[in-house]
Order: sequence, then C-alpha cells, then structure tokens
Amino acid sequence: MIEPLKVLIVEDEALLAMELESLVEEAGHSVVGWATSSTEAKAMVDSTEADIAFVDIHLTDGPTGVEVAEYIGEKKNSMVVFMTANPKRIPDHFAGAIGVIAKPYTMNGLMSALRYLQEGVHRPPPKSVLPAGFTLSPAFKTVWAPAA
Amino acid sequence: MDWKRTREPADAWHMTDDLHVEHGKGDPFAAAIRATRMSMIITDPRQADNPIVFVNDAFLRLSGYERHEVLGKNCRFLQGSKTDKATVDLLREAIAEKVDVSVDILNYRKDGSTFWNALFISPVSNDRGELLFFFASQLDVSDRKRSEHRMTADKERFEKAVKERTRELEAALEAQTTLLHEVDHRVKNNLQMISSLIVMQSRTIKDAATKKSLTTMLERIEALSTVHRRLYQSKDVSRFDVAEFARDLVTDLLTASGRAEIKSTLDLEPIVISAEKATPVALMVNELVTNALKHAFKEKPDGTTAGRIGIKMSQPDGHFNIEVSDDGVGMADASGDASFGMRLIKSLARQLHADIEWRDAGPGTKVVISMPNEPQQKGNVS
Repeated sequence: MIEPLKVLIVEDEALLAMELESLVEEAGHSVVGWATSSTEAKAMVDSTEADIAFVDIHLTDGPTGVEVAEYIGEKKNSMVVFMTANPKRIPDHFAGAIGVIAKPYTMNGLMSALRYLQEGVHRPPPKSVLPAGFTLSPAFKTVWAPAA
Repeated sequence: MDWKRTREPADAWHMTDDLHVEHGKGDPFAAAIRATRMSMIITDPRQADNPIVFVNDAFLRLSGYERHEVLGKNCRFLQGSKTDKATVDLLREAIAEKVDVSVDILNYRKDGSTFWNALFISPVSNDRGELLFFFASQLDVSDRKRSEHRMTADKERFEKAVKERTRELEAALEAQTTLLHEVDHRVKNNLQMISSLIVMQSRTIKDAATKKSLTTMLERIEALSTVHRRLYQSKDVSRFDVAEFARDLVTDLLTASGRAEIKSTLDLEPIVISAEKATPVALMVNELVTNALKHAFKEKPDGTTAGRIGIKMSQPDGHFNIEVSDDGVGMADASGDASFGMRLIKSLARQLHADIEWRDAGPGTKVVISMPNEPQQKGNVS
C-alpha cells in the first residue's frame, strides 16, 4: 500500500476547488490547503508541507500559475501538476512541473491521474498507464514514460 | 546650315587629322558629328587635366553653355552637389584605365537645372596604340529616369500599403485568436463546472436509481468535455480526430471504472471528421460503449463479469464505419435509461445520415454505424 498524497490546491474557481477537494479525499488523500491567488499560494507553500500542488494557470491575480510553479520549484518541497483549460499557456519547460491535467477533465480521468501521481511521487516511475487527458512535461516524460 | 557658326578654334581641328579624316565643309564625317542631335564631345588626354577640345551643337543645346565657355575645360563642370560620387569614381577609373564606360549620371546645365545623362565614353587610339582622345556621347534620359523614379516610388508606396494592411490583418487575426482562446477557455471551464455540480449533487443522493441516472448524465457531459479538450488541442480547430477521442474515452471508462476484468480491443484507423460532426459522433460512441459496459457484462454463472469490448474504426470508400462490439450477454434490454440511450443514438444517427445496425454477434452484440465522410487529408491534425 502506497502512502496517500498531501495535496495543495491552487485554483480560483471555488466550485472546482471544492469538487477537487472531495475527489482527492474520496481517493484517500488529504488536502492541506486551497489558495486562490499567487500570493496566497506562495504563503501556503511556505507554511505547509504538500507532496503535490495542483496549480491552475489563471488565478484571481491573473495568469500567475506559472509563477507559483516556479516558486514551488525553488522551494523544492513539493511537485507541481498544472490543471488548466488553457494548456497552451504553459511554457515549453513546464516551469519544472510534472505535467498538465487539461480541463475539462473527467472524474475517472482525475482518479486515474491521482493514482498515477501517487505511484509517481512515492514509488517512481509510476506503473499505471498514463491517464487520458494527462500530459507529462518533456523532462518527466523521459523519466516516467521513456519511449519503449 | 551655317558652318561658320560651328567652326572650332584652330587647336581643335588637328584631331580630324589624327582621325584620318579630311576636315572642312565637304567632310561628311565631321559634318555628321556636328549636325547630329546626339550630344558629343572630344577631350584630349595628352593635355593637362584632359580638357574638352571639341563639342557639337547638340552638346551646347543640352548643357546650355556657349562653346567658348567649355572648350579647354575638364568635363567635371557638368557635375554638381547631387551627382552620385560613386558614379564619378567609376568614370575616373575608366578614364585612368583607358577603357570604355557607360553610366547614367546626374549632370547640371549652365542655369543650374539638372538632367540625367546616359553617358558613354570611349578612348580613341592611333595605329601605334597611343591614346589620342576620349570620345563621349551624352543622351538626356531624364524622362526615363523620372518614370524609373516614379515606378520605384509607386513600388515603395505599394509595399508600404501592403505592409500596413498585413499588419492590420495580423492584429485582427491576433485579436480573433485571443477571443477564440478566451471562449475556448470559458467553454472548458464551464463544462468542468457542470461536471462538478453533477458530481457534488450526486454525492448527496441516496436513491440508487437517481444516482445511476446522474452518473449517466455525467458520462454524457464528460464525453462532450473530452471532445472539447481534444478539439482545441489540435492545430486545426475545424478537424477532429475521432480515433484519438475513442481511445481517450475507452481508457477513461475502463481504467477508473474498477472493472479491470473487462479488456478492450481497439482497432482504430486515424479518422478525421469535421468539427461539427465531433459532438454527435462522440455522444454516439459514448452511448454505445457505456451501454455495453453497463448491460452486456452481467454477472456470469461463475460469478465473474470478465469480458471484452472492441471498437473498430475504418473508412472504406468515402465512408466512416464504427463498430462497437462486446462478448457479453447479448442485446441490451430496452428499458428505462437504455431506451433513452437508444433514442439518443437513433436521433444522432439521423443527424449524421448514418446507418446503424445491431447484430447478434453470438456471444455478445455488435453495433455497426456507417456514415458518409469527406475525403481525408494527408497528415495528422494534432
């Protein structure tokens, strides 16, 4: 049994954050915080311990999600997965993130992604197949899903 | 003609001797040079600063000078402030090298007005190869230069106009792209919200049938979500790769359904359909696959629900065929939700001008949909 994930949610839409929280908890993981802006997110990164942060690109203070990912990358205390309806806004280097879950994701897609990430974070590389709608960054692709 | 008027000073006349031509009124060669409308001059490089030793009337008419004002002078008095220095250098080099030269040069008349001179200079040597003269002819090509300049100016104006228009169009395209991205972003976010609302509502419901109904609704909305996600991932938003969609859909429905005992067989040719067909096709495939998962794989006498679901997509001669097959319990019973699902499938088939057929595959069911499809473009859309 792999230990559950501690998740930080960085999402400006309350409804989506609420639902994501329920799904994360249903899957046996815990949510350590929810931030709606980059400022809130940075403060939360400093004060909490999370294994993984789900980061939307558009936050209440603008398209600052990439900045948040970079901040987390510098702190090196958790990993980042973008969650956005606009994956084209993500820079090619992914700001160090594992990858992106493109919105709209499906409930099953998200559950698969959580399982995949749980394996990837605690027992890399993940054994599950890459879920539909989840795209790995080029850096993680070479490690987690090398071409056969 | 009054030859007296054009008579040259004595020192200018010796050149006709060197040119082996008789001088005087009866000399047809000298007469021709004097009378031609082509401006001509002769200079003597053996004298200091290569002075003019002969000019014809045409030159005087062209330049506006009197004969006595130009004889004995170097030709450079024709140049002025706007004369191109590089062209002058070219002339100087040719004269120093004693070779032919032909240039268009801006010259100045006595009154200060300018004209474009198509100048041709060639050295004249005697039998012994000694340089005697330079012979130069001038032609006023101001008209040609003017039209050249006009053409250049027109071209520049057109180019500027085209550049400006291109800039406008690029800006318009960028605005349109931004708008498209914005709308796309909102559609996706809203689809996500709709899904979230259904899931949250569903959590509060105890009644199994209602819960099941909401789940079916969620699956349909998620099929639309998957269409949208895939649609705007491709470069061309007007085309949709239906095979990739089917792969996503089946992976999604099977991996997280907790039904690992059901295996899938995907035989998918890459098939591109127009974006407006994407939604009905996707909904139809979703109905067939979810229907098979729900109804076909009932518990077998041995207590297992193992089975195989297959999707085949092919495109024989201008058609697009989808086959969804299962090795389950056979034809799904048309009751409750299934009947709505069936109506949905049939209506979508009508919209797509598709033929749909249920076959008993013994064991299981095979549904075959066939619809006309436009010719496929080379290359992948994504």
